[in-house]
Amino acid sequence: MKRWIVGWSVLLAVVFVLSFGAFAQKKVSILWMEYDGLTPDYALNLEKAFEEAHPGVDLEIISTPWDLGHDRLISLVAGGRPPDLAVIGTRWLLELLDMGVVEPIEKWVSKELLDNIDPALMEGKIKGVLYGLPVAAGTRLMYYRSDIIDKAPETFEEMLEIAKKIHKPEEKFYAVGMSGKKYVELTEYAYYLFGNGGYFFEILPDGSYGKCTVNDEAGVGALAFMNDLVNKYKVTQPGVTAYRRDELQDLFIAGNLGIFLSGGFTAALLEQRGVTFKWDVAPMPHFEGKPQSTIIITDSIVLFKDSQAKEEAGKFLDFFYSDPWRLQFDKLVGFPPVTKSLANDPFFQKPVYQVMIQQIPNAKGWPLIPEWPECNDIIWDNIVATFLGEKDPKTAMDDAAREIDALRGM
Amino acid sequence: MRKGKFWKTESALAFFFLLPACAFLLLFMFYPIAYVILMSFFRVNKLGDLVNFSGLANFRFMFDRPEFWQIIVRSCVWTASAVAVKTGIGLVIALLLNVDFRGRKIARGLVIIPWASSVPISAMIWQWTYNNDFGLLNHTLRTLRIFGEPPIWLAEPRSAFLANLWVDIWCGIPFMALVFLAGLQAIPQELYEAAEVDGATPFAKFRFVTLPLLSNVLTVATLLSILWTFNDFNVIYVLTGGGPGTSTDILITYIYKYAFQYLRFGPAAAMAVITFAILLTVSILYARSYFKGGTVY
Repeated sequence: MKRWIVGWSVLLAVVFVLSFGAFAQKKVSILWMEYDGLTPDYALNLEKAFEEAHPGVDLEIISTPWDLGHDRLISLVAGGRPPDLAVIGTRWLLELLDMGVVEPIEKWVSKELLDNIDPALMEGKIKGVLYGLPVAAGTRLMYYRSDIIDKAPETFEEMLEIAKKIHKPEEKFYAVGMSGKKYVELTEYAYYLFGNGGYFFEILPDGSYGKCTVNDEAGVGALAFMNDLVNKYKVTQPGVTAYRRDELQDLFIAGNLGIFLSGGFTAALLEQRGVTFKWDVAPMPHFEGKPQSTIIITDSIVLFKDSQAKEEAGKFLDFFYSDPWRLQFDKLVGFPPVTKSLANDPFFQKPVYQVMIQQIPNAKGWPLIPEWPECNDIIWDNIVATFLGEKDPKTAMDDAAREIDALRGM
Repeated sequence: MRKGKFWKTESALAFFFLLPACAFLLLFMFYPIAYVILMSFFRVNKLGDLVNFSGLANFRFMFDRPEFWQIIVRSCVWTASAVAVKTGIGLVIALLLNVDFRGRKIARGLVIIPWASSVPISAMIWQWTYNNDFGLLNHTLRTLRIFGEPPIWLAEPRSAFLANLWVDIWCGIPFMALVFLAGLQAIPQELYEAAEVDGATPFAKFRFVTLPLLSNVLTVATLLSILWTFNDFNVIYVLTGGGPGTSTDILITYIYKYAFQYLRFGPAAAMAVITFAILLTVSILYARSYFKGGTVY
């Protein structure tokens, strides 16, 4: 009887100690976006290494494809169960601030980390308060088949002339890749719009966004040119409205495209997949007589107000932004480093990074307005209507501008 | 004494056992429905909290949008076509599987595969199948020279709609076939023998024996199929995301866009209430016709 009691007591004590250990661990969750090129192993290794370095913290990395990231995050936030941290497109930050769910991040990370990030990349700083740390930032550029095209076109007009020569649809080789199916953002239109000197909204003297301007000369001209590539000259892949950006990227990697406009991640994928053809990069083309410009896209990591483990989340950020982990991350995702300490690393002296960095001074970012996801869809739907021949470019962009202004109460 | 009586009364005990299920239903079914109805009459913030009463403003907002009416019509066309085809093909397959032939068990197993597979995964496989450059479908059509240049299925509104429709039908046929097969097996064999003695042709047997005795099963199966098809989010979301433009959006995908992409929970709730009303009406009509029939199998 006595032995029985002792046995049970020991067992209970062991269970108690073990469960105490489990409860003592603080859990930190991060909604992690699956960048093209970023292998699942990276997240697994990062999680393991962080937990080994911080035995009191249980890190949970929730991987999500980029195109589902926004909706998944919103579902979690609206359901009252946001993660502690999330990788977001910085353009979503205003939307999250509007919901009042984001925590200023500055006090939760070390000074060394903050000092190691170029202030120019702190797009997550709104009205002087830093809400997000840049996790990736890069300008979009042009990829082309250097075994077929001797010299990269500088203007879209030159690109069209080259396209007419190299387009061979009977061999399933298409001169220019064009994406017409929604995938995160309408980057495709931004390339042509910015290259034509345009923007989505007028910028008011106080820096805020005024009326939608996609129906001005630059906006309509950009769409008319895209539509000509698709429907008049037919130098794109057929059925553009069925292609997302990532599917187009697969087409380029498979050797079926001559010119493809994309981000640094495509270079990382081209190298990872060991393509046999020759390719090169060049600055994003622009229209004749217009200044060169492209879009710069930044993604940030934000901390949520409801987090019960802000201190531990801060520790994770310090860990993730240390050189060994950032170097691996930047190499895999194909963006130039956001940390100063890696800027001179030999890996980032390749042409693709140099072009991305060279374009920064003239690059423009996404508009930072809370209604952007809906504006994005409105413009995109009208672009698709143009490609399908349902609207002419002017009518499409007039409709888009009218609807967006009404949505924003202007 | 009274307490003992309560426990001994079988019906009271039955009610007692039903309590957890009722609590579960109240919490997870009626509360969300009631909250969505409430949301549809309120201005709702981006976190889904009610802000202030707005009457019919959310409904008016949706009714003023021309694409909303297009989407309502499209949802009805989508449901009617898909259910009709699923019922037709399902019935044919059930009739075939009801005949005794060698390999029938294997055939029955194969038929269930689309139903047993996860719908999003099936939709992803079909997305690849429809791909113009690398997809199986167009490659086959080109190789067999059925089409010189086959359509790019997901690029044009009409073909994209049909492509979505086919995947929904493909996923739904096994359910119909198996339910109809169960119904067919419940029909007494003597009735067919009697019909044969009377000199009935195979078509007459189908028309005057099979169909009338299968009518209740048909009613229940098509009602369930209507409810599922009207709310089939997965196929469209994975295949086209409602595109090109909004040309393949149906009510359920449109609700999702408004709620989780634009964070406009008020109009989304209004659309959810409209969906609920449409499906409730259909269900009531079906229930009436079902119980009018008298015989319940």
